[in-house]
Amino acid sequence: MTEAEIIEKLQNGSEQAFKELVDKYQKLVVNTCFGMLHDKDDAEDVAQDVFIEVFRSVQSFRADSKISTWLYRIAVNRSLNFIRDNKKRKWFQSLDDTVKSKNAIFEKFTSGDSDDADFNLENNQRANVLHEAINSLPENQKVAFSLNKYEDLSYKEISEVMDLSVSSIESLIHRAKKNLQKKLYTCYKKKCI
Amino acid sequence: MKCKTIHKNLIFFLEGDLPEKEEKQIEAHISSCNECSAFAQDLKKTLGIIEKEKTTETNPFFYTRLKARLESQAEPAKVPFWKPVLVNIIQPVFFSILLIAGIYTGFKIATPVQVNTASVHYTSEEIFPYLNEMQSEPIEGFLME
Repeated sequence: MTEAEIIEKLQNGSEQAFKELVDKYQKLVVNTCFGMLHDKDDAEDVAQDVFIEVFRSVQSFRADSKISTWLYRIAVNRSLNFIRDNKKRKWFQSLDDTVKSKNAIFEKFTSGDSDDADFNLENNQRANVLHEAINSLPENQKVAFSLNKYEDLSYKEISEVMDLSVSSIESLIHRAKKNLQKKLYTCYKKKCI
Repeated sequence: MKCKTIHKNLIFFLEGDLPEKEEKQIEAHISSCNECSAFAQDLKKTLGIIEKEKTTETNPFFYTRLKARLESQAEPAKVPFWKPVLVNIIQPVFFSILLIAGIYTGFKIATPVQVNTASVHYTSEEIFPYLNEMQSEPIEGFLME
């Protein structure tokens, strides 16, 4: 089924078309949400909200942009709203991270394969540091960087999703990388991994 | 090239965003500087996490869960006809009355009782033994007993 056919059938209320749309774009939406939220369960929840919004607002979809661009836009907006609505999560997240790292240490001592446990622990710590650095970026930089890195979108595709010029996206990603490097260098100096 | 310059451009070097000339200069510096080489390795490992995190598999229950959510949201819960009246009118009125009654009772309790003492006169002798019991029954007396 082509994109136009899917949209047409969706507008006629076809469940089969909706299933096809979900099967085709599930990975794209979940990955985009994950790039912003850094939590698999939250990313899946928000991805479901995205598809529900798509199902409800498909009548107003105009075929002048691609389905994927439309999905990216909804996914980004939903994820940003989720972050804004869950600022309190930060506190719980830090608590959760502490528990996770403690669990990792516990697993390290209880499992026989300590090399493997060391590797996992280091990776977890690296992931936490990276997520913290990405989360501290300004919203626009975070969106552009996440779409570029997690979804491998080109600057042109990101410019369509974010409704900005290609040069603005270039500048956003350049600044995002600089900020990330600064934060990761500080962490490296403090030996937080 | 100084280490400070390297640190500023290392991420662009790792991402392959630099012009060839600059790339070679950084490469040469890293091969001779342990500090920059260690940071480059660390940065590469940290950025490599992104590749590992990308979802490659799909959740097989995603569509089932999504459909269940859609169906549950499609059927609006039946609200009894009296519930909006209870929630929007009766409850606020009840709690307002309770609040006003509480404040009124509070004021009533706090008002000092007006006792007409004008006609009663006590002399200091009459009051003294009552107020100063300890003098008539000193504690030393009890202790001695």
